[in-house]
Amino acid sequence: MPKKILRVDMSKLEVKFEDFPSEYAALGGRGLTSTIVSKEVPPDCHPLGPNNKLVFAPGIVTGSAAPTSGRISVGGKSPLTGGIKEANAGTSFSQLLGRLRIAAIIIEGLKKDKDYYLLKVTNDGAELINANKWSGIGLYKAYEQLRKEFGEKVAISGTGIAGELLGAGSGVCFNDLEGLPSRYAGRGGLGAVMASKGLKFIVVDETGAPGVEIADQEIFRAGTKKLRDALMSHDVTKPGGALASYGTDVLINIINEAQGLPQRNFSAGQDDRSANVSGEKKAEEIKKRGGTRPHPCSPGCVIQCSEIWTKPGGKDPVGVLEYESVWSLGPNCSIYDLDDVGELNRACNDLGLDTIEAGDTIAVAMEGGLIEFGDAKGALKLMDEIRKKTATGRILANGTAFTGRAFGVTRVPVVKGQSMPAYDPRAIKGIGVTYATTPMGADHTAGYAIATEIMGVGGQADPRDPKKSELSRNLQLATAVVDSTGYCLFTAFAVLDIPEGLEGMVESVNGVLGANLTVDDIGKIGMQIIEIELEFNRKAGFTKKHDRLPEFLRKEPSPPSNEVFDVPDDELDKVFGA
Amino acid sequence: MTILLKLFGELREKVKSQKDTSGAPITLTIEKKGIKTVSDILKKFGIEESETSHIFVDGIYSGFGKLVNDGDRVAIFPKRMCLLYKWYFNKVEND
Repeated sequence: MPKKILRVDMSKLEVKFEDFPSEYAALGGRGLTSTIVSKEVPPDCHPLGPNNKLVFAPGIVTGSAAPTSGRISVGGKSPLTGGIKEANAGTSFSQLLGRLRIAAIIIEGLKKDKDYYLLKVTNDGAELINANKWSGIGLYKAYEQLRKEFGEKVAISGTGIAGELLGAGSGVCFNDLEGLPSRYAGRGGLGAVMASKGLKFIVVDETGAPGVEIADQEIFRAGTKKLRDALMSHDVTKPGGALASYGTDVLINIINEAQGLPQRNFSAGQDDRSANVSGEKKAEEIKKRGGTRPHPCSPGCVIQCSEIWTKPGGKDPVGVLEYESVWSLGPNCSIYDLDDVGELNRACNDLGLDTIEAGDTIAVAMEGGLIEFGDAKGALKLMDEIRKKTATGRILANGTAFTGRAFGVTRVPVVKGQSMPAYDPRAIKGIGVTYATTPMGADHTAGYAIATEIMGVGGQADPRDPKKSELSRNLQLATAVVDSTGYCLFTAFAVLDIPEGLEGMVESVNGVLGANLTVDDIGKIGMQIIEIELEFNRKAGFTKKHDRLPEFLRKEPSPPSNEVFDVPDDELDKVFGA
Repeated sequence: MTILLKLFGELREKVKSQKDTSGAPITLTIEKKGIKTVSDILKKFGIEESETSHIFVDGIYSGFGKLVNDGDRVAIFPKRMCLLYKWYFNKVEND
């Protein structure tokens, strides 16, 4: 049984399966979502109108025995940035689609009436079922009820109350292994696109699924073994390594020492209270209160950076508290208590909000005087405004830039309308170049992976040296490829240092596709994907003037480094320019 | 004439004999006397170079030969916390 595309027309409430076009055969994940969006979505369309589409695509190896490869890409035109968007998450949802041989689900059309629908996908087909009873309900309760109704083995994607408000800060939610709504393709407001089409949930049951087709089992097995060996032996990715021990939140103390952990809406880069919300602190707390750490986001992950954070006494599980979420809802709001951060993260998961966008939004609302910095209870009340769908809630659900305008704030940390993650671009300038130039809007993951060594670029750079265009470009190209394979970006830590691991990764892709790719092809394939995305953005009206950081980051020094973002405009334009 | 030293993860056990369960870094004020570089601090606390990953001297990503000045803040992370955008950083060395 060959791969297929599931196309869902929400205007007509029709579902159909199509053959997977041969020209897409080597595509998966981000490469596939961005290709479909560029072919089928007019760049000048309204992101919440009938001509936008929402595309779900598992990675090339996702659903197979390849380790740490449970990523799903979600693509469309972003209501937050107005440009193309790919957001991704690690979840069993992706693996189930892979094993059902569904290369992509394309959601098109527009909400027909007041009704919301649930798309049920099984090996026998797909159907739309009325889902009105879950409208206005928090996702924790909804996911629990859905698992009761459809069985505990199903995987679920959903949009929350923030999506129902068509808020540009809403994400697309996926289940974790406990069925909690805690894994998000969060960025760019794609939850609003989903809700605009009247689609509330997708429920996938893999019973009877044929599994991922492997063109060459021998190459695939040899490749995945090399990759697994690399992951099992590297200090960051191995069992008992940094990510398993502390999770991504291990970065709190590290970036605080680099003077690049933004505090109080990007007013400083270091505060010793940040240690109270560090990965080390959280790991000890989880042990004491009976949560779970480490924990895989999806079956087959060697790294296991995830966890289950709970209230004291091991009650009311939230899911994972990631570094970015802890930072945005914590130090960036002058909040330094893990229980406060945990409850704010729970509210985001429940409402269907991207945690980075939500935290930056709260910090800007604090600067605008809506509540005081450090007021965690006040921040939770702001989340309730969204739940109650009040006018204030509607402003907040639309994200950081919108909230900044509404409350007269000029220090608004966004690029292309999307808020910045947990690295101050004044102290760590390379990430600032990525924030400025990625087609995604301010996004750390866009330039996260694969060291300069692999791409054949000499040397490493000083974080405070403003010449960063080549470094950022190569990171962005490599990331686009990893995001297409289905492998988690964190595999990069191991394959950077262990060349056999990278070879194994490429061989595993060859094994699935029956292709002959080499490590040297990574840059070229990455450029093809990014070029598709840049072209979409150009047609949507973006120019190099949009590849800039906000004025306050260029003018206002960040203590204690007292650096400003001083990368010249022509250096930014060199990233993808002539 | 002092240096502010911060030790993270299992490097905390170099100072405390018992395992620390607070999750907080160890913060010490140490005498500058006898300390010229990061290496001298490692020797003082019996930390092998191979046990470390990221070292920051006043926010600057540093190598073992980085000179340490009076009043500096020195942060040392253990081997397995080598989780950083390391390609954004170039180690500053004085030796």
